[in-house]
Amino acid sequence: MAGGSAISGLVGARIHRKEDKTILTGAGRYVDDVYERGMLHSHFLRSTVAHGRITSIDVEAARGLEGVVHVFTGADMSAITEDLSFAQPIPGLHSPSYPAVAHDVVRYVGEPVAMIVAESRYIAEDAAGMIEVEYDVLPAVTSTVGGLAEGAPELFADVPGNVVHADEQLFGDIEAAFAQADHVVTDSIDQHRWAPVPMECRGGVATFDRATGQLTYEASTQTTHTLRFLLAGWIKHPIHQIRVIANNVGGAFGLKFSIYREDVALCAAAKFLGGTVKWIEDRNEHLVAGGHAREEQLTLEAAVKADGTLLGLRVTMLLDAGAYPINPPATVYTGIVRTTLPGPYRLPAYQFSHKIVATNKASYISLRGPWAVETLVRERLMDKIALTCGISPVEVRRRNLVTLDDQPTKMITNVTLDNVTAAETFERLAELVDLDAVRREQEAARAEGRLLGFGMGTFIEPAPGTADFWAAVGFPFGSEPARIRIEIDGKVTAFTPQVPHGQSHETTLAQLIGDELGVGFDDIRVVYGDTDATPFSMIGTGGSRAATMASGAVVYASRELRRRVLDIASHMLEASADDLEIVDGVVSVKGAPGASVPMAQIAMGCWLAPEMMPPGTNTELEFVSSYDGEGGGFSQASHACWIEIDQETGKIEIKRFLVVEDCGKMINPAVVEGQVIGGVAMGIGGMLLEHSAYDEEGQFLSATFMDYLMPSAPEVPEIEIEHMEFESDKVVGSRGVGEGGTVLAPAALLNAVDDALTQLGRERVTTTPLTPSRVLELLGVIES
Amino acid sequence: MNTREITVTVNGRTRTVTVEVRRTLADFLREDLGLTGTHLGCEHGVCGACTVVIDGATARSCLQLAVQADGHEITTVEGLGGPNGELHPVQQALHDSHAFQCGFCTPGFVMTVHGMVLEKAAGGRAPCSRAEIREELSGNICRCSGYQAIVDGVEQALAAGSGTEQ
Repeated sequence: MAGGSAISGLVGARIHRKEDKTILTGAGRYVDDVYERGMLHSHFLRSTVAHGRITSIDVEAARGLEGVVHVFTGADMSAITEDLSFAQPIPGLHSPSYPAVAHDVVRYVGEPVAMIVAESRYIAEDAAGMIEVEYDVLPAVTSTVGGLAEGAPELFADVPGNVVHADEQLFGDIEAAFAQADHVVTDSIDQHRWAPVPMECRGGVATFDRATGQLTYEASTQTTHTLRFLLAGWIKHPIHQIRVIANNVGGAFGLKFSIYREDVALCAAAKFLGGTVKWIEDRNEHLVAGGHAREEQLTLEAAVKADGTLLGLRVTMLLDAGAYPINPPATVYTGIVRTTLPGPYRLPAYQFSHKIVATNKASYISLRGPWAVETLVRERLMDKIALTCGISPVEVRRRNLVTLDDQPTKMITNVTLDNVTAAETFERLAELVDLDAVRREQEAARAEGRLLGFGMGTFIEPAPGTADFWAAVGFPFGSEPARIRIEIDGKVTAFTPQVPHGQSHETTLAQLIGDELGVGFDDIRVVYGDTDATPFSMIGTGGSRAATMASGAVVYASRELRRRVLDIASHMLEASADDLEIVDGVVSVKGAPGASVPMAQIAMGCWLAPEMMPPGTNTELEFVSSYDGEGGGFSQASHACWIEIDQETGKIEIKRFLVVEDCGKMINPAVVEGQVIGGVAMGIGGMLLEHSAYDEEGQFLSATFMDYLMPSAPEVPEIEIEHMEFESDKVVGSRGVGEGGTVLAPAALLNAVDDALTQLGRERVTTTPLTPSRVLELLGVIES
Repeated sequence: MNTREITVTVNGRTRTVTVEVRRTLADFLREDLGLTGTHLGCEHGVCGACTVVIDGATARSCLQLAVQADGHEITTVEGLGGPNGELHPVQQALHDSHAFQCGFCTPGFVMTVHGMVLEKAAGGRAPCSRAEIREELSGNICRCSGYQAIVDGVEQALAAGSGTEQ
């Protein structure tokens, strides 16, 4: 099929969002807004110790409190549920199953140990305070290194040595690469735990209809179909009797891709009690138990020629998985890190090994670009190679980047690079930056006692990635369905398995459908989130897939319906379908607007009297299409970051932040910019402010927003964006852009900090976050 | 249950109701009055999602008890728009600027900006530069937007300045 849209107009324009009126007027239906007469409210009592055996739990007083309907201990809950198991046929993966509510051993602070169901949330929390739990405290594992140490306590009998998974993969002749090297450049990073922290915490409302046996679960989730599929087994309920619904979802950033034990306990409780039970996580619970991300330690050793050419790379990675495995399995993260780490650079030889380690912490979960550390370490390494070889950070990248002229080619990790413009975005960035001017400015500032730093970076984002990319990772690529119906009045309803939570799919998918079908933007409604209505997909909204995959699905479905409408109209207007156009819901002969028929008239005929429609035409005006991604592809961007470090307070101020990005054809530039800017802000927050901190006993230290610092408006700089829109010959030339800002911004920022430290002859950053006190340590102002 | 009778005016409508003394204003608005536009993001006064306007000034409804609202006048996000669903100028400005994404923090920002516009209209201080606007917004957290488009919308709302009657 030829490229381009059938009719242009909506696609590419800054169309204002369909979603806005609902959210701006407070009319949204977030899960805590669900209210039913007589509904019950639940609350989880959570472990106060990081590792321990429950020796007794006394819930009698709580059960006796007026207004308490039921208290489930772990044993009570296990009697009505199956243990959660995320085991997958992945060689060497240890994935212990675990109960919805703990009843024997607890393995992190915040693990649920009892569930109280009461007439109000207030009473449920009162009751929680009346439950007595005694623990036989066990020694805790609070770091990967600690967990791997000889004689370390083991969390699970079926995870020997706390090693959830270990693997080493070799690509090319790594020994030869190091034998030829002029320099061996080493680097490392110990990244701290931080978290997605959507503004809406987790939650759900489960309703069991005793008459029909149907369980309806309205939840704050990114993935309704996976939630439904996994719930069925764990609450022992047939899947055709389960309906999962997501309406407004208040942010997720990967966190709500996981299925949690609270989901299971809540649905099981509703079924057991035969009514409606609500659970709304509070912020304290969310920060403690909602899951954390990013805690990884990497070491790198690069074989480099004197001119900065990369010959080979050895990488080791430790991932702190927390206690309990969750979906997706952590091997997906190490797999994406391994596969993506060479990025848009030529790398002839590569060795990557990893260990995923169980620790007494909350689960390691997805966070917007969960593989981001690959870009962080690679881009920092490029700067270190530049320093070692005495060339500029621009030159070192230029000498190693794969340009469009080099493509198609393959990464050392067996991934096809085609139409990848990372090098082109980087050249444009370099042009906009003027590195010589930056250096002069830094020198002048140093003369005044001020310290300026500058950093840059580039990357590719698998959004959606290619089929061979996902094969290399060890995860299925998958296609994406959509169903579209031209209604009896010619207006359009589309059904997508996406579960948007800020990505504006109601707007962007309507733009695509409007152009394809010639229907007005306001005459299109996008339905999502209800498993009774939407086609099946395992992923929902995640992995920045929608821009390509959901778009492709609605484009193909629209085109099939357009073909049917034009076929019918060609009989009615006695004209060739090729000579027809659809504008604003009216089919007419091009150049002869008098010869026309409204789509509403065709639709009315198709729905009410198909036998009266022209013989031989297809009058079904509802169609499900599946889009395979046409081989997929990558987004790419380059970032530059200018900072000033206050040498007295340790504060890092971001003076300027520049993004040159290419996500292919932009469906809506305002949506793209929102994703890029929001992503960069999250990356900055993660590096400078946010920390899901534990002490050495495994106590959690960041349980409020006074401890877990979120970036607010003054901490986020104005972000300048330049778009490039490389057009491929694919039908859908749009790539995802949801995660890239968060992936690349930390690299540019840390390179800027390293640049500042280097000017003072100080050591580079090796650990994050870069809080003011840490910066003062790096500057040598205070002791470590 | 320890309760008390209070009289409050919410979005122009005065009611006398009996509430539990420990009930937060946010829970009262959301659950008792069904005004679920006021959101709870942290329940400890940091995120600003629960911001409402009380007697013309912004306040966190998660940090107040319903009984403290006795005799006071409260405006929530539901009280801003026109009778036929027209957007308030503050809402319109934030729509025009593509300010928000998931929408959870949105009512809190709308009320904070509404408070800024009210203050300016009353002859009080008003932020002039984008940096000053960012400072004024620092009591509201948005995880999606990176704030830039919100600042764009605030500039427009402050420039418009009209339609600020409560």
